[in-house]
Amino acid sequence: MPSLTRRFMISPRDFVRAGEVSIEIQGLLKGIGFPAEIISRACICAYEAEMNVVIHGGKGTATLTLDEDHIIIEVEDDGPGIEDIELAFQEGYSTAGEEVREMGFGAGMGLPNIRKNADTVELRSEKNKGAYLRMSFSVKRER
Amino acid sequence: MKACPMKAIRVRDGKARIEGVCIDCGECYRVCPRGAVSVFTAGRDVSRLGYGITVIASPVMYAQFGEATTPNEILAAVERIFGCVYDQAYACEMFNLATEFYLRENRVKKDALRPLISPFCPVVNRIIAYRFPSLLKHLLPINTPREIAAKDIRERALREGFPPGEPLRVYQITSCSANMKCIREPLFLKKSNLDGALGISEIYEMVKGQLHNSDEEPLLFRSGGVGIGWGICGGEIAGLGEGNYIAVSGVQETIRYLEKIEMGLVRNIEYCEFRSCLEGCVAGPLTITDRYEAKRILQRQVSLFGQGKRLNARRVKKAYDEGWFFTEKRGEQPSGAARPMSISGAIERQEGIERIFRALPEKECGACGSPDCRTFAEDVADGRSDLERCVFLKKRKEGQGE
Repeated sequence: MPSLTRRFMISPRDFVRAGEVSIEIQGLLKGIGFPAEIISRACICAYEAEMNVVIHGGKGTATLTLDEDHIIIEVEDDGPGIEDIELAFQEGYSTAGEEVREMGFGAGMGLPNIRKNADTVELRSEKNKGAYLRMSFSVKRER
Repeated sequence: MKACPMKAIRVRDGKARIEGVCIDCGECYRVCPRGAVSVFTAGRDVSRLGYGITVIASPVMYAQFGEATTPNEILAAVERIFGCVYDQAYACEMFNLATEFYLRENRVKKDALRPLISPFCPVVNRIIAYRFPSLLKHLLPINTPREIAAKDIRERALREGFPPGEPLRVYQITSCSANMKCIREPLFLKKSNLDGALGISEIYEMVKGQLHNSDEEPLLFRSGGVGIGWGICGGEIAGLGEGNYIAVSGVQETIRYLEKIEMGLVRNIEYCEFRSCLEGCVAGPLTITDRYEAKRILQRQVSLFGQGKRLNARRVKKAYDEGWFFTEKRGEQPSGAARPMSISGAIERQEGIERIFRALPEKECGACGSPDCRTFAEDVADGRSDLERCVFLKKRKEGQGE
């Protein structure tokens, strides 16, 4: 089965270019012709994950792997890491600073939103050792 | 070739050709130094049109003859040339009011679409139809001001028994390069109420010659400041009541914003005004006056006439309730826009493009005839171009051969 892997760099604290990686992913998925519904779910997740890196993370990468039936997005960074993963998935919980919240981000909705939209979510992180997030979306399930 | 936002232009044997989807934005017309691009209007036959047509004058007209010339003087001059004139700004105000009614209904609907998108700019409508078909349902289903105006003209003529025997011909005077196309192939109507479009730049001299040519001038200007403001980006939402609205102009900015909307990031906004020309219709390709000067003149007129509408709100409400303002159909994705290809086929194609792209120099020189290296890689993968056309690759190969 033909498959495709693409890698994108995410720059931390760059709020001007924030979101561009997700938009690029969206363009690619649209060009390939995945159903609109799965694209919108994947892109919302990609956007939330990208923003997490921009807000909290260090340097990050997003890796998109896809074949006919699956879209997998892995986002990694070498930032401060997440201390309590369960807490991070709670709606409204955020460690974002005041400055970030003033820009309208850091409402504590990112990870909960990802859990809602992705078919599987895997998050691994340790304090001061960065974070690894893997989200998958399967096409077949959508009729 | 590089100016085209749709990357639709290719150079073959020294000649530019449109090979991809054209949205009639006019960017190529604006930048071509040799005047090789022309815009399709009815203007070339303007002398053959003769007297006795009804023309709808865009508010952009009011910015073309200096700040000392009033909208009514311009309309009177146009009427002396063509026989009958209709102030489009007035139709813009009707459109505004109908939009307000629709937004009010939308606010209380449970799963209302957000944001709604203005259907005014024909270029934006085509961008949505080709690149964002999932957003077609976000377009406000209300007829554009030019269609409202033309419908009004035709119904009034019918009521008043005019013209006897002769078919009524309705044209629009516009700054827009896309209007002629959307009159010929309307997206939201079975058939347009208009017969064609004339560029402001094409009739400029005629109108100028007729200005101040008569002592008596009938009152033709029917709108207020809101209608005039439509010439500038932001003028449309300025005519709406309280609410969360934004106005975006420029093709690239519009595409960026549509991407955001498609990702569901703009839900807090109720209504988006998009204009493909930077600063709005005053910057249309078929104008004479510089866009910023034109904007200044219109802003001055808006403050002169006041930020209000001159409408009979009750009559508009009645027409709205009778469905008079609504489009006949929702826009559809034009056939031939979607590539009929399986997902696995598309992935393979994408892989092929990647492989070709990695070998390219990324100098974006355009010597191959494609606008940039990525598009060239796509063209080669689709068999529409040849790797040989890349001068850098060729040189490298020759170097290895020696």
